[in-house]
Amino acid sequence: MKAEHRIDQPDIDYLGVFMFATRSFLISFGALAFVLLSCLKAYADSSEAATEQVKAQLIASADAVHPGDEIQVGVHQLIIPHWHTYWINPGDSGLATTIKYDLPEHVTVSGIQWPTPVRITLGQVTSYGYEHEVTLLSTLHVPENAGVGGVIPIKATVNWLVCEEACIPQKVELSLQLPVIPAGTSAGPGSPLIAGARAALPATSPWPVSVEHGSDGLLMRITGAGLQSANIKDIWFYPAEWGKIAHSAAQTWRLDGDKLELKLQPGEAPPANGEELAGVLAVTGNGSGGPVTRGFIVNAVVGPAAAANPPAQEPGLAVSTALLLALLGGVILNLMPCVFPVLSIKALSLIKQAHQAPLQTRLHGLAYTVGILASFALLGGFLIVLKASGMHIGWGFQFQSPLFVLAVAYLIFAVGLSLSGVFSIGGSVAGIGSSLAGRSGYAGSFFTGVLATVVATPCTAPFMGAALGFALTQSPLVLMAVFLSLGLGLALPYLLLSLWPSLQRRLPKPGIWMERLKQGLAFPMYAAAVWLVWVLAQQSGINAVVIALGGMVIIAFSAWLYEVTKTGSPAAQYTGAGFSILALALALISGYVGIQSAVTPSQPAVIQSSDKNWEPYSAARLKAVRAEGKPAFLNFTAAWCLSCLVNEKVALNQSSVIDAFKSTGTVYLKGDWTNQDDDITKILAEFGRSGVPLYVYYPAGAQAKPVVLPQILTSEMVAQAVNLKTAVGACGSRSC
Amino acid sequence: MLLNNLSPIALLSFIVVFASTAVNAEPVADQPAPVFSGAAADGSTVNLADLRGKTVVLEWTNADCPFVKKHYESGNIPRLQKSAAAQGIVWLQVISSAPGKQGYVDGATAKKLNSERGAAPANTVFDPDGKIGKLYAATNTPQFFIVNPEGVLVYKGGIDSIPSADQEDIAKAENYVSAALADLAAGKKVAKASTKPYGCSVKYTG
Repeated sequence: MKAEHRIDQPDIDYLGVFMFATRSFLISFGALAFVLLSCLKAYADSSEAATEQVKAQLIASADAVHPGDEIQVGVHQLIIPHWHTYWINPGDSGLATTIKYDLPEHVTVSGIQWPTPVRITLGQVTSYGYEHEVTLLSTLHVPENAGVGGVIPIKATVNWLVCEEACIPQKVELSLQLPVIPAGTSAGPGSPLIAGARAALPATSPWPVSVEHGSDGLLMRITGAGLQSANIKDIWFYPAEWGKIAHSAAQTWRLDGDKLELKLQPGEAPPANGEELAGVLAVTGNGSGGPVTRGFIVNAVVGPAAAANPPAQEPGLAVSTALLLALLGGVILNLMPCVFPVLSIKALSLIKQAHQAPLQTRLHGLAYTVGILASFALLGGFLIVLKASGMHIGWGFQFQSPLFVLAVAYLIFAVGLSLSGVFSIGGSVAGIGSSLAGRSGYAGSFFTGVLATVVATPCTAPFMGAALGFALTQSPLVLMAVFLSLGLGLALPYLLLSLWPSLQRRLPKPGIWMERLKQGLAFPMYAAAVWLVWVLAQQSGINAVVIALGGMVIIAFSAWLYEVTKTGSPAAQYTGAGFSILALALALISGYVGIQSAVTPSQPAVIQSSDKNWEPYSAARLKAVRAEGKPAFLNFTAAWCLSCLVNEKVALNQSSVIDAFKSTGTVYLKGDWTNQDDDITKILAEFGRSGVPLYVYYPAGAQAKPVVLPQILTSEMVAQAVNLKTAVGACGSRSC
Repeated sequence: MLLNNLSPIALLSFIVVFASTAVNAEPVADQPAPVFSGAAADGSTVNLADLRGKTVVLEWTNADCPFVKKHYESGNIPRLQKSAAAQGIVWLQVISSAPGKQGYVDGATAKKLNSERGAAPANTVFDPDGKIGKLYAATNTPQFFIVNPEGVLVYKGGIDSIPSADQEDIAKAENYVSAALADLAAGKKVAKASTKPYGCSVKYTG
């Protein structure tokens, strides 16, 4: 179409030079010689060239070189919108950019280090390439015998195919001269584009990657502790060679615990067992300024399919096992000291109801089941919401709250009092189970289910740890299924009892034994309350015990007051009820206030690293470090932030960075924003950020200006920032 | 009961998640070639099934694509077409460019272009809605598919071994299409039955 015939665009430049020269010829011979020479030199020496679609520039990581240096050179392409150039494997169509370096003898250059590509889909065709801009770096080696004072001319012939829908092959020649300077003299910073180019390169994968033949395709597995909490938006594997996988086929992925599985469809030339599958895995996670994509180099030998255990079956089995475990666990929960009394009350009420119509009994059973399932669904939904919002949670999270523990302790104690007969809610003193709203119809049964769930939660952790732990790593659907399965298990014995009248007939006849049993069952409840107070003591200290036990005395008093005034005159009733409610409110408020103040802020769970070379961040600590005149490096991170974890693995935990921190005396402060932290939120805001990651370097000296580093770090970038800025800072303190 | 439903539902949802990859029915070498029919430049309708008993070459093309130009302007593809015609091979150009997209032409223009370029295909098949292209999962121009007299796909891939837009590379490259046709003529199995195509993307509709 429009410009496709212009295969060799620089020809036009030659033409321009020629025409200009011809005109000059008319002016004078001398001028011709001068103009022609200078123009040709200008052309040959230009490090930049542009076509209609692409502006190319030859760049280097230094302005000059020392003999023996290893520097980076590269071609930067600035591409107009909607057009793209190609990666080493262009995908379904297209052509990779090539760079041919023309160098003096003994100067050597490596192949292109390809940045992580993007996929460009047009209709049925998916290509791998670059939009907007890209830098193709190579490593250049300067020989030891390079003559100081001379120059190293670098000439690059660059061929590329640039496409929108139409494609245009283009070719430019670029050149750059690097002076050779004596060792010890500054080589200059080089092109500012180099740092960004390095950051765009794929990093060595911090996680082990394996590939095997699955039942219907290739299965890539990535195992890493950080993956579970990482907020992954998109994953794509770019094969380095054509045909290894189908370029345009969807790549579905699934996170199973800390294992990520990516399904790849084999292409025209799929790798055989034992062959290597190489490429780049691009992982897109949430960053503070929007999604951040990071590439990882993959080099995995393809293994055979696991014969005994087809991978497609595995998750299904695991889910059904978890569901069964949850169901069994739910049934066992009925026997727990905290649940059994509640359940027995329900069973006893069933005996009372035995004379009622079977339909009514069944409806009560169903209402009770619905109550339990609704409570578990609520818990499950709450967990799903927390998970979706990026919280890193485990089962039993609610018991991390001392207030919740106190409330459950109060509730269980109150149930115990009711069982002991200290008080009963409702008119009928004799009605078994009336204290648990047994008489208030189906709503009563429903709330008994809710109550059973609430009192059952403390007991779930030890028995259900495995199934619930599994559920938490699963999709919301599976999580909900496991929770409902657990609830169903809890409801099952009573449900069966209510559904089958034949079972009911086997129950003993009602009698005074029921009252005795009920009173006896109060003691497991008191025991459960004791256990909860003990838990509370662990969490909030010895003072919390006083508050909790004091509260229980008040509750017992309220219960007694309520009960004794209940049968009196209306005035007495109101006074009693009023005093009871007042006392109860006092217990709850004093409990709330007391526990809240007793709670010591728990230590933030900063991500552990094996060699701890950092201190936790606090504004005071930063101030102190700066007052001492020491440089500081700030890392604000969170367990759920993928790019944070990756930056730590590929840059901050690298020995070069650790050494740089050590040698420059830089104090490394880490702020964990996994949980809300006002101190950190404040400093993030100071740097105009609303989230992590944020990397800030404070050079030495209290007045030095902080430097904000990019959100994607390389070890070179950090080491360079620390080394460079320390030098400047030191200079500043010497006022030179 | 509820339990009985839950576990299959959970299992089913997993299977759905796992199986959601749309499996393309891409043609495979050594398997029967998908049959198609399409309007041709001479006004007739070409039906692949009618060509049983003859070797058929399908060449996806787009006259404005620089990679197609490379092989036409150099005379490479016209030479192959003439040699194929001499051996009784049916050479069909296929144009899957959608109306308004690069390479979309009418019958008269297609014939004119071929005579200007010295090209000699048996016919040119138009596929403006991309149905044939998608049937063969054609992605590039130029791209080739060879169907043997039994209707089996024996070759799919590019024209040669050096992906570039430079005519000078043609002499240095291994021509996969002529090699495949030579293997067939010698009654042998095509040695390289699937190669990497290179060129412009097929300008499908949408």
